[in-house]
Amino acid sequence: MLKKWLLAAIVLAVLNGCSENNNAHTGSSSSAEEQTATGNVEDVDLEVWSINGGGFQPIRKGSKMYELYKQKLGVGVIQPYVEWNGGTTYLNQLNLKIAANEMPDLFMPWQGVEASLAKTGAIADLTDLLPEYAPNVWKSIPQDVWNIVKANDPGGEGRIYYIPNVVNYGRTAGLIRQDWLDKVEMPMPTTQEEYVQVLEAFRDKDPNGNGQKDEIPTGGREQVRWMDHLFAMYGVAMYEGYPDWDLYDGKLTYSAVTPNMKAALEFAAKLYKDGLMDKESLLNTGTQWNGKIDSNRVGNYYHWSEAVIDRLEPIKKNTGVEADYTVLPIPKVEGYEGFYTWKRIQNPAWVVKNNKDKNKTMATLKLLNNLYDEKNWNDLYLGVEGMHHTITNGKATLLPDDKSTMENKAFKPWEYLSTLEFSKELYQNNSTESRAWAINQNVRNMEETQKYVKLIAGDGLPASIYDGFPDISNRTLYLEYASKIILGQLPISKFDEFVEKWNKSGGEEVTKRANDWYKTVHK
Amino acid sequence: MFESRGEKVFVSAITVILIILSLIALIPILSVLSISLSSKSVVEMNLVTLWPKSFTLDSWGYIIVRPDLWKSFFLTLISTLIGTGLALLLTALLAYPLSKQEFRWGPVIMIAVVIAMIFKAPIVPYFLTIRGIGLYDNPLVLIVPHILNPFNLIIMRSFFKQFSKELEEAAFLEGCGYFRMLFQFVLPLSKAVLATLALFYAVVVWNQFQTPLLFLQNPDWFPLQIKIRQFIMDDNIIMPGAASTIDLNYNQRTLRAATVIFSMIPIIAVYPFLQKYFVKGAMIGSVKG
Amino acid sequence: MKANTAIETREENELNTAKFYRMKVYWPLYVMALPGIIFLIIFKYIPLLGSVIAFKDYSVFQGIANSPWVGLKHFNTLISHPDFIRVFGNTLILGFLKVVFVFPVPILLALMINEVRKSALKKGIQTTLYIPHFLSWVIVAGIVFDVFSLSGLINIVIGWFGNEPVLAMQESAYFRPIYVITSIWRDAGWGTVVYMAAISAIDPQLYESGMIDGASKFKQMRHITFPLLLPTVLVLFLLEIGNFLDLGFDQVFNLLTPMTYSVGDILDTYVFRTGIQQGQYSFATAVGLFQSIVGFILVYIFNRLSKKVSDGGLW
Repeated sequence: MLKKWLLAAIVLAVLNGCSENNNAHTGSSSSAEEQTATGNVEDVDLEVWSINGGGFQPIRKGSKMYELYKQKLGVGVIQPYVEWNGGTTYLNQLNLKIAANEMPDLFMPWQGVEASLAKTGAIADLTDLLPEYAPNVWKSIPQDVWNIVKANDPGGEGRIYYIPNVVNYGRTAGLIRQDWLDKVEMPMPTTQEEYVQVLEAFRDKDPNGNGQKDEIPTGGREQVRWMDHLFAMYGVAMYEGYPDWDLYDGKLTYSAVTPNMKAALEFAAKLYKDGLMDKESLLNTGTQWNGKIDSNRVGNYYHWSEAVIDRLEPIKKNTGVEADYTVLPIPKVEGYEGFYTWKRIQNPAWVVKNNKDKNKTMATLKLLNNLYDEKNWNDLYLGVEGMHHTITNGKATLLPDDKSTMENKAFKPWEYLSTLEFSKELYQNNSTESRAWAINQNVRNMEETQKYVKLIAGDGLPASIYDGFPDISNRTLYLEYASKIILGQLPISKFDEFVEKWNKSGGEEVTKRANDWYKTVHK
Repeated sequence: MFESRGEKVFVSAITVILIILSLIALIPILSVLSISLSSKSVVEMNLVTLWPKSFTLDSWGYIIVRPDLWKSFFLTLISTLIGTGLALLLTALLAYPLSKQEFRWGPVIMIAVVIAMIFKAPIVPYFLTIRGIGLYDNPLVLIVPHILNPFNLIIMRSFFKQFSKELEEAAFLEGCGYFRMLFQFVLPLSKAVLATLALFYAVVVWNQFQTPLLFLQNPDWFPLQIKIRQFIMDDNIIMPGAASTIDLNYNQRTLRAATVIFSMIPIIAVYPFLQKYFVKGAMIGSVKG
Repeated sequence: MKANTAIETREENELNTAKFYRMKVYWPLYVMALPGIIFLIIFKYIPLLGSVIAFKDYSVFQGIANSPWVGLKHFNTLISHPDFIRVFGNTLILGFLKVVFVFPVPILLALMINEVRKSALKKGIQTTLYIPHFLSWVIVAGIVFDVFSLSGLINIVIGWFGNEPVLAMQESAYFRPIYVITSIWRDAGWGTVVYMAAISAIDPQLYESGMIDGASKFKQMRHITFPLLLPTVLVLFLLEIGNFLDLGFDQVFNLLTPMTYSVGDILDTYVFRTGIQQGQYSFATAVGLFQSIVGFILVYIFNRLSKKVSDGGLW
């Protein structure tokens, strides 16, 4: 009796082993590496943490998404449910896991946590591992970006501890209603005076044609965000509403404390006073501001030029109007060089746990290598058939979000290695006849934006320059002063007081650190 | 009942004021309810205030057929019932001795309880402790950490202290021990405070999300509030190339409104059931008898 | 001499017997208390030991034991921050407003509800009043912003009087009143529950005899209801004081805008921006300790005072 069971067990084990070997090598380019690396890389499951912004389902062993990733990336991926909540819950849960000695194998760091993890040796030194075991990663990110990553080594030894998030094109721009310009019979403004005249026309001449004076010429959102175009024309380095670092008078300076910022705030305050800017700009949440745009009321807003479709389709559904939002060329202001900020290096995309189990490290590198192979991206984008997309007549279309059934897309490489070409392809492939009018605007705007963007000198500055000065990092002082100046609660003369306070409360020290960094990078 | 005209006016005035206040208190939930019953477009354009516009049941329709929502609903319901029951028991067991003069540890424990209420443990040690006793990824974590709350304990003790001394002495003379005293006399006559604390504990267990979020890995055990949060999280994450949502009649906001109401209905319904315990003289009844 | 010691020994023996007797009779109380005590130790006190990280530079990777000691550094950082006076001041002011304006409301409401005659109406009012408590502050604050928006209720009414619209949520002058009103709006109804329970515990015969003596409703309220409610009020007041500096992060955070930081930024929101969002657990714990210590001192003081006034008090 026992012998029979033993025999059966051995047979099963052998069969199991055989079948695993058969389906291990699908479509990955580094098979040679795998076979020479230590043992059973195929059997490894990695715990991966990334953004789950939409509250989707976790990825469990054996699930559909798990199988997809195993097939395309060669490694089993597990992702627990981690709430994002703007990063706060995510960071908290990450820290708790680390405290309990259960750091994930591969994860996206947040709020500069990678610096302390690198210092304590918790994450792997990737400098030599990447070129050898994940060449796709190594090659797809330009050398000068890797140099910046090396300069950001908290230990000062020029080692690479994270894979950066690289956006190879300018993403954001001011967007203005071309159809409204036509309606009020004015050309696209090129100077600031012309721009203001256009705004006045939007306000007074009822371009949306509904007989009511409900137009909002321009505006933005709370925390002085998403109204960057008003600052861009003064040469203020600002990304998605956050002031950034650029060269002013030859020195790397935080744009919020430059004379350019002062002039920009004065301009914005005037627009507010004259009713050319939404009076509720500084109270608008994202949803509220989008709601106003979607009600066919806003003439000029600032956002991702490739996300125009997110507004165009609701406008059509809500009001029947096929709007045309086109890129606003930077209105010329005498004495200033305006530009839309292009931030090429964003938050780090990945760090790898310094695993004692070398199998896991190898598996992680294999996964990363496959992940950064563009050939896989479309499959990753489409997700699981029946869950994330359906196929009709041989063409795949994405399904609308469903939190109950969809597993989180743990990997979205096109987001942290964005190229203009791939993004354009993504939109065009997803186009249908009914959506073409909107998607074409997406593509057109993306290309048009590149004419006005500029790379800023502070690109790639590590978050560690703010260590010990969380209020500078949070721009608390800036928010208070800028908001009140725009609203007219404080006169523009108070700006100088702001600069002084900022410098005294740590701004001076931070500026020094930033300039030291700049010197290291640009030796 | 002798009542002067003045008193009748007094009572009417109070009643009217209360009705007005109640209507004001209804505004938030009316607003949320209206959004859940309105179409996506009008909600997006911020046109909905207190009444639904472009009435539609689509958001509710979406919610009602989610099996995972219902699973979570019943899970939360059961954990609330069990948790509340256990909590009342544990709280009473500690509150009763604390209300007695002869309990020598009383003052020390009271200070300890107040300290436990005022001083909150930082999250990392709390997490490590709970893990240490085996509650990580364990559905019991929905119940166990909540079964004693210092605030509620102090309230119950304060009620027990006011409990009739004559009754107790009478019972003692008949040879009644403390356990019998508690379960046969004190508790049955403390319906008001038990109902109150049942409500307090039930609300805490029903609404919990922090603890489960940190300790539960398996989404099958997620209580309702975590599910609700999946809809509430204002994900300002821009996801390019997303699917067209033109044909849907609901959106994040309407779904969120519907789920919020869905999760509120049971707990709001608890109080009317408990109100019979808040009738005057509910406690005193048997003393004279 | 010998006689004295003899008496002393006898007294001692009596005392011992009395102690023994007491243990024999009172032991059930100690047994009853045991589960609760164990719970408190495990779930409250052991984690509280972790508060030492307030005196260390805690790093999740090094763990609680291995993180270096820094003494009072974090408390220093807190107090020497240029905004500390403002933040601490705001917390005190809002705490004070809460105790003076928000705390009494549930008591008044409970007394009023008690007078409503029709039971169905009474139930209805009680239930509606406490519904807002179940909506999270994210939602309630959203509604508040809507109500004060340009197209919201308040500005519509202002428009009827022919005045210019006001955006109250971005004016610091309105923040504190809005804080108080929204606190009452959301939580007063809920707060009546405890008082209703206390009122129901009052012997109805007292009211009957009061009425026979010709006491009006007012007098009944003043001389019967209110005094008998006092112990409960006292306990709840002491508990409220204990949490004096703990104003409810969710509420303030969701109502706050940069324009109202000067009056609305409190310890909790300040710590959130500078500690919690960055995972700076040591600093966050230090501030929390600071708040708790102040709260505890206040409870201690008021507890002693209350013992002088009545025999109430928490211990």
